[in-house]
Amino acid sequence: MAAQDQLPPPVREALERLYPGAEVHVAARTDLSADGSFGERWLLLAGDRVLVCAPDGAAAQVQADLPLADISEVEVENLVGGAMLRAVVSGRKVDVISFTNALGARFGRVRAQLDAVAKGKPLPHPEDKLNYCPKCGLILGEATRVCPRCVRKGAVLRRLLAYAIPYRRRLMLTATLMLIGTAFGLAPPYVTKQLVDRVLVPRANVHLLGWLVLALAVASVLGTAVTVWRNRVTAYLGGRISFDIRAALYERLQWLSMRYYDRHPAGTLISRLTQDSGGVQDFLAFGLPFLVTNLLTIVGVTIMILAINWKLALLALIPAPLVSLVTRTLWHKMHRAFHAFWYRWGRFHTLVNDALGRVKVIKAFSQQPTEITRYQVRNTDLLSASVYAEQTWGTVFPIIGLLIGSGSLLVWYFGGRAVVHHNATVGDLVAFLGYLGMVYGPLNFLANAAQWMSRALTAAERVFEVLDAEQESEKAKGEIVPERIRGEVEFRDVTFGYEKHQPVVKGISFRAEPGHMLGLVGKSGVGKTTIINLLCRFYDADEGEVLVDGVNLRDLSLWAYRGRLGAVLQEPFLFSGTIAENIAYGKPHATIEEIMAAAKTANAHDFIVAKPDGYDEQVGERGGRLSAGEKQRVCIGRAILHDPAILILDEATANVDLETEEQIQQAIARLVEGRTTFAIAHRLSTLRNADALLVLEDGKVAEFGTHQELEDKKGVYYSLLDLHRKTSTVKAVDG
Amino acid sequence: MADDRARQATGPPGLRYLDAGQVKVFRNEDGSLCATIADELTVLSPRFLRACPLTDPDRCISIRGPEPNGKEFGLLRNWHRLDPKSRRLVEAELDRRYLHPTVKAIVSLKDYSGVQVCVFDTDRGPREVTLRDTRDNVIYLGPARVLITDAEGNRYDIPNLHALDRKSRSLLALIL
Repeated sequence: MAAQDQLPPPVREALERLYPGAEVHVAARTDLSADGSFGERWLLLAGDRVLVCAPDGAAAQVQADLPLADISEVEVENLVGGAMLRAVVSGRKVDVISFTNALGARFGRVRAQLDAVAKGKPLPHPEDKLNYCPKCGLILGEATRVCPRCVRKGAVLRRLLAYAIPYRRRLMLTATLMLIGTAFGLAPPYVTKQLVDRVLVPRANVHLLGWLVLALAVASVLGTAVTVWRNRVTAYLGGRISFDIRAALYERLQWLSMRYYDRHPAGTLISRLTQDSGGVQDFLAFGLPFLVTNLLTIVGVTIMILAINWKLALLALIPAPLVSLVTRTLWHKMHRAFHAFWYRWGRFHTLVNDALGRVKVIKAFSQQPTEITRYQVRNTDLLSASVYAEQTWGTVFPIIGLLIGSGSLLVWYFGGRAVVHHNATVGDLVAFLGYLGMVYGPLNFLANAAQWMSRALTAAERVFEVLDAEQESEKAKGEIVPERIRGEVEFRDVTFGYEKHQPVVKGISFRAEPGHMLGLVGKSGVGKTTIINLLCRFYDADEGEVLVDGVNLRDLSLWAYRGRLGAVLQEPFLFSGTIAENIAYGKPHATIEEIMAAAKTANAHDFIVAKPDGYDEQVGERGGRLSAGEKQRVCIGRAILHDPAILILDEATANVDLETEEQIQQAIARLVEGRTTFAIAHRLSTLRNADALLVLEDGKVAEFGTHQELEDKKGVYYSLLDLHRKTSTVKAVDG
Repeated sequence: MADDRARQATGPPGLRYLDAGQVKVFRNEDGSLCATIADELTVLSPRFLRACPLTDPDRCISIRGPEPNGKEFGLLRNWHRLDPKSRRLVEAELDRRYLHPTVKAIVSLKDYSGVQVCVFDTDRGPREVTLRDTRDNVIYLGPARVLITDAEGNRYDIPNLHALDRKSRSLLALIL
């Protein structure tokens, strides 16, 4: 019924005309016309027919009309920039409707619905995950609810200030100091007025001169003292608050889901942690106090000059809005110039980073001249942008100065006339000029404050966006903490895709007994790593369930479960630190005896002790000073010490020589003992000892059985084995 | 001997270039697409993939089997010179596969704190587009060529920045 309501009237009428009374089970709007241009069309499952209708003015054109009974399967073919929903109709694949990537997720669900119905299953109702703002429809970032269009700047500011609550006493102090400081700032022109009117013009009252100069001195000394005090407090506050925010941010980053990391390159997240939180700090420590003091100054000055001579005051303030407007436009121009400059600077930086990081490759291919040319192109780019930006700055800045000066010209002229006609004193004029000098600076600043604040608040918002992103532990409140994990793993009809409409693993079912070793076999891209990812619960299955000891992984406490999970990956990764620290990574309080025992089991002890610093040997950023085989064994040692119930081995023996492989194999054999092990290997010989082999083809289980069984079966595994034998013969002969 | 077989099985890698005259594309009785290559073999439900879809889209068309990682039967050069019937079929297949909107003008661009909502006028009609993280999603393919990826993963090509009108260029300056 809801599906029916969404339909535009022409489509609804066409449907009513063709199939009166047919109930609409599924209705989905696409954004592409039949000819590939952007336009609206509808895919309907109405009654027992699948229809494609295009609204065409007041009427609707039915472009496809397929009886559901003839459809045996529905699939999505990924194209470039979009995709095509296809149906197998009477054994033939037919294009039904195309859509752009924007609707990939939506049509992924539609595919699942149509496919289920075509196969005689009940109509599923997959959850429609909102990724657009419910208020304004703007597309939101992955796993966030913050809509930048709807979020009120005030709300962000309030949230930011909420971080100041623990420091409210210091905050009050700053506010007080600001008020006092402003008052001291307002004093000097007024004192000058007295000086002129009472001493200088009448050339009398010399006894007042000393006192007035003293007052000026006191005002400026105390004013400076208060400013210094205030600056020191705000610096502390700003630093402290952004410290708190950065801490919260990093903690959140550690707990974000893998999906979030898939969508956000590490660089973006690093810039949120460094640049955006830096922006927030600037805003809090410098921008916000500056804004408040400037506002106070403007209010104070306005009051003062109105009190001195309100007619002159009104005249003097006439150009203020105009000056604000013009400076704003000029600043805008300058901002653009600098934006372009920073953008080019970023690209320049990337290039240099790239080239110097790959110096070996460049030298090996003797491409220094090419690199120099590439560099020069970027450098020239940078040159023109920087010249433009600096020239704009050099032009705009003096012009702004000129505009600011224009207010005082008015005061000189009209104030001068007023003095001549005895409507004002000379002191009034001097005080006015003093006050105007104080007010145009802040006015100029406030003209940009909107843009400047919006930038700072956007940075804050980007930080909050990460803080609001979905945490993996929140995804399912898995609270079952098992006493121990035996390691029985079962996949039940599991379907999963990184993109919803593109399943990588399709309806996989298998079971691994506790302590058994299961080999995952198949060409690259068939879903081996995806199965491991699901097992680690980096992702949740879209359909079906993954069970560990009979408990759905979603219900298991993630923390407790991962604590019993270990992995030795293809790319052995070592953290900066000592070898001992690296082995003890999963068990930070392990004794050195435990570490050495683990290393010994991993066949690593002997080479570690032979290092100059033994277990205290520093391994660099990527464990640079260890060979691939050594790193691998350190990683195996790490897994042994971690003592997992479920172990993942991902191509652990790739890229090492035969002798090292032997050592690693031995270490692995000891490691897998008594643990449920999932092993991925391209070298099928390494999986000979597996209790069972799961042969995958195109995301589905092709074969399941022991090495011997599958060899005798002469199926997919056999042909892989055959291919493997041939290639290893070639290798042996060539090598 | 086993060695010889193995060598044959892997074989030396070689590309097979096909001229327009060697390829015929047609639909058989049940309407499915077929391609005959050099009168040697007929590929059922072939796929036509551009080798360099962005930089030189018409230079080489790879003719492949229907499955996702299907075998390549040859690289077709000068596909425009196919016989008219074949050419139309290949053209339709390429149009079907490559949704590659080209931006003719930028009608509007509004910035909401790092998220931009723009209206592009493209060769496939006007389109409202949401951009986010433009630093990562706007890439230069040449000195004046820009490829923009929107928040939903759709891509928009601006073949020549200098060919855009003034207004479009000044709006674009906000994200370039």
